[in-house]
Amino acid sequence: MAGPAASPEVIKAIADYLRAKHFYPTPAWLASFMASTRPNTPMPALQQTALFRLLSSDLTSSVQRTPPISIFPPDISNPEIKERKLTGPVAVQVLDVEDIGRSRWSQVEAIEAQERGEMTKGREIIRVVADESTTDGEPGAQANTSTGASGPFMFLLQDAAGTKAFAFDMSPMANVNMQKLSIGAKLVLRDLLVARGVVLLAPNGVEVLGGKVEAWDTKWKAERKAALKGKADLGGEDG
Amino acid sequence: MATKVLCVAEKPSIAKAVANHLSGNQVTVHNVQGNQFIKNYQFQYNFPRWGHSDVTMTSVSGHLVSQDFNSRYRQWRSCDPVELFEAPIDKYVENDKKPIERNIEVRARQSEVLFIWTDCDREGENIGAEIRDIAVRSNRLLADAGKTVRAHFSNIERAHIIAAARNPVTIDEAQSNAVASRIELDLRIGASFTRNLTMSIQPMLQDRGGEKQVISYGSCQFPTLGFVVERYFRVRNFVPEKFWSIKVMHEKDGVKVNFSWARNHLFDRMMVVILFERCLAARTARVTKVQTKPTSKWKPLPLTTVELQKCGSRFLRMDSQRVMHLAEQLYQKGWISYPRTETDQFDRGMDLQALVRKQTQGGPWQQFAHHLANGGFSAPRNGRNNDKAHPPIHPVNFVDPSVLNAEERRVHEFIVRRFLACCSQDAKGSMTTVALLYGSETFTAYGLTVLERNYLDVYPYDKWTSSQELPDFREGEVFVPTEARMHEGLTSPPGYLTEPELIALMDANGIGTDATMAEHIAKIKDRKYVETRSQGAAGRAGDDDISDDDEPPPVNAGRGRGRGRGRGGRGGAGANGRGAGTTRGVQEFIPTTLGVALVEGYESMGFEISLTKPFLRKEMELKMKAICEGRKTRQEVVEETLAQYRVVYNRTQQRLEDLRASVRKYVLGQGE
Repeated sequence: MAGPAASPEVIKAIADYLRAKHFYPTPAWLASFMASTRPNTPMPALQQTALFRLLSSDLTSSVQRTPPISIFPPDISNPEIKERKLTGPVAVQVLDVEDIGRSRWSQVEAIEAQERGEMTKGREIIRVVADESTTDGEPGAQANTSTGASGPFMFLLQDAAGTKAFAFDMSPMANVNMQKLSIGAKLVLRDLLVARGVVLLAPNGVEVLGGKVEAWDTKWKAERKAALKGKADLGGEDG
Repeated sequence: MATKVLCVAEKPSIAKAVANHLSGNQVTVHNVQGNQFIKNYQFQYNFPRWGHSDVTMTSVSGHLVSQDFNSRYRQWRSCDPVELFEAPIDKYVENDKKPIERNIEVRARQSEVLFIWTDCDREGENIGAEIRDIAVRSNRLLADAGKTVRAHFSNIERAHIIAAARNPVTIDEAQSNAVASRIELDLRIGASFTRNLTMSIQPMLQDRGGEKQVISYGSCQFPTLGFVVERYFRVRNFVPEKFWSIKVMHEKDGVKVNFSWARNHLFDRMMVVILFERCLAARTARVTKVQTKPTSKWKPLPLTTVELQKCGSRFLRMDSQRVMHLAEQLYQKGWISYPRTETDQFDRGMDLQALVRKQTQGGPWQQFAHHLANGGFSAPRNGRNNDKAHPPIHPVNFVDPSVLNAEERRVHEFIVRRFLACCSQDAKGSMTTVALLYGSETFTAYGLTVLERNYLDVYPYDKWTSSQELPDFREGEVFVPTEARMHEGLTSPPGYLTEPELIALMDANGIGTDATMAEHIAKIKDRKYVETRSQGAAGRAGDDDISDDDEPPPVNAGRGRGRGRGRGGRGGAGANGRGAGTTRGVQEFIPTTLGVALVEGYESMGFEISLTKPFLRKEMELKMKAICEGRKTRQEVVEETLAQYRVVYNRTQQRLEDLRASVRKYVLGQGE
């Protein structure tokens, strides 16, 4: 059980550690974290645990909305603003991610094939062969059935103040994609470029801390197919 | 004393050809009583092993022995179909084949050596074993070691046949056993499921006034049908979506150069608008790369059966069964090698140049063959498959095309051209790539110049043509593009499954062997599970570039296919937008309502292992292979496989109502 009076030094050491990672924990979150720790846990382990918990938390309740530089401007999504630069660093969490390099329908098909257990049965795989009937001169206009992480991706990010913004990966990043990031995963953004309300993610401006919010991730996975179907049915109007 | 040798081939045409080759056309022909097609050819031959011999060459006509359930079970309603999993099976010779059997018995009695000349594949091995068993019944001495042998041959060209006659081998019991177990499994599984299926569904269809139709189940048929239905639903359920891209055109030196976007297209309009705006805001584009590299279009791989069937369908507009039938005839007449082969590599020892020289005698490819014979020859590429029994399909002799009928001629021409193409050189060209950075976006233009056509000259089935020549761009050059615009497109559904695609799927998933795939496809047509129609040309306008499975793409456009060709599988499609034009006019398969009802009915039973999926059958094919390789016995395989199917049978039995509901829904049009 928690020591009734975790020393201010201990609390400070943990808060400093998190701040070094650009998370400014709220006193309430820190207190509840301390309450759940065992006394005499060595400091490095405490710090690790704190970071792990924070990465699994909802930033809007675990992290302070100050300093202002650590959050998005409230009007970040304003499409009227052609371009602006933010220095950050801003800690954000991933609320949604979508592969916009592939049609939604092809993604629905892939999910359904998986549901039917068609792609794999044990270690066997139904091998699909490429459509030989691929039509027209529009490269890849066909529903693309290729597997694996492709992208590019459109992310919906949220900062500690709850402000949301779309973000687009300008070039493929090994750790910023649908396979690697769970919903609720935390990123720290620096020197970011925002164009018409969309954050343009460049590899040197994104630090991935990872983690996930279990409940969100589960819900997202459960609803993904329906969400894709809904969007596909709109004919992919805008996005 | 001359040794008495009895030779038996699988078909009369082979018997005749072999007899003529060995005897130098010095044969006497005797009729066989009761069968007008089978002849006995008598001649003298000096075998190294048996010395001077009196030879009788005869043949059977495919399998001699038939198998069916004991008469007690033969009537459809004589038993519960589940009993067929273990009902006794009788082996017998059909009445129309009794004269052939008798002929072998009589001849065997007078012979000291039995020399089997059935085709060298699993089926041939099994037929050879049948012949031996009949012969031994009347002459036990033929069971002694070395008294029954078999010829190993893969075409009936003279020198090859003589070599086979001089180097007999033994019958491969393992292969024969694999066939025996396949026959038993197909009979038991096919009959039990078919009876059950027919008895459950037929009354429903008859109520509708339909004809009395057998609704058959076959462990290959159903997965084959499954592929067709799966694609049908993919087409039916398809939802078109808009996508957007950015197109850049720059005019230089009077040439309009189109640059394509490295991102291809995105399914998010807002994002494309933003990126497009940033291009425009940047105003100028900078040339980041100018590169000219030699490129080549690879000559095709040596021809396998599966490839012949796919190409026949694609280039000759013939269905796979027809192509195989014609190839079989060409083989029997001695013009081509055995047409059932998985091998796509020529043996090092083969004198391919000699084969090429034979084709210099005439035909539309004569000049090209001359060119190869006079130094243009280049060793064929090697594929990855070798069945260790037969070489790739190739012409073994020259035949004047005018003696062939029209259809034979087309198949023959394809095989000859393919062979000559294999022995020629890759087409050579040079590919220039110009890349631009425009805003944050990369755009690329490609220019192909074909320098040497090489194999393309003899292989018109492949197309590779120079594109527009690119003007001179320099790295670092900056310009304001003449035109940049956003383009909107709509995804289009896949086409219905075509025959080449179906064959590729069957091949990749182990449904049937290359020798039987065409039969399974024909079967699902016969059973009225699917219909075929010619794929419409509408909406397929555009480039007439013909792509081929084993070709490297002319442009290496990012994600997408790798170079190597695995059997059937390959990397992501469509990444380079080629492939149009190849399938125009090809037959496509559309399931009938009955076909859909069957697949959906079984699917809705929700088994982990569906009968309409390839897994069970694939396992069976792997087990056949295990028998051939001596890793399993026939008995083990039959027992294991029957046990698997029996489980499925019992579960199907409990869920028959699902199947009936599916028939009501799709065939009878009574909503769910």
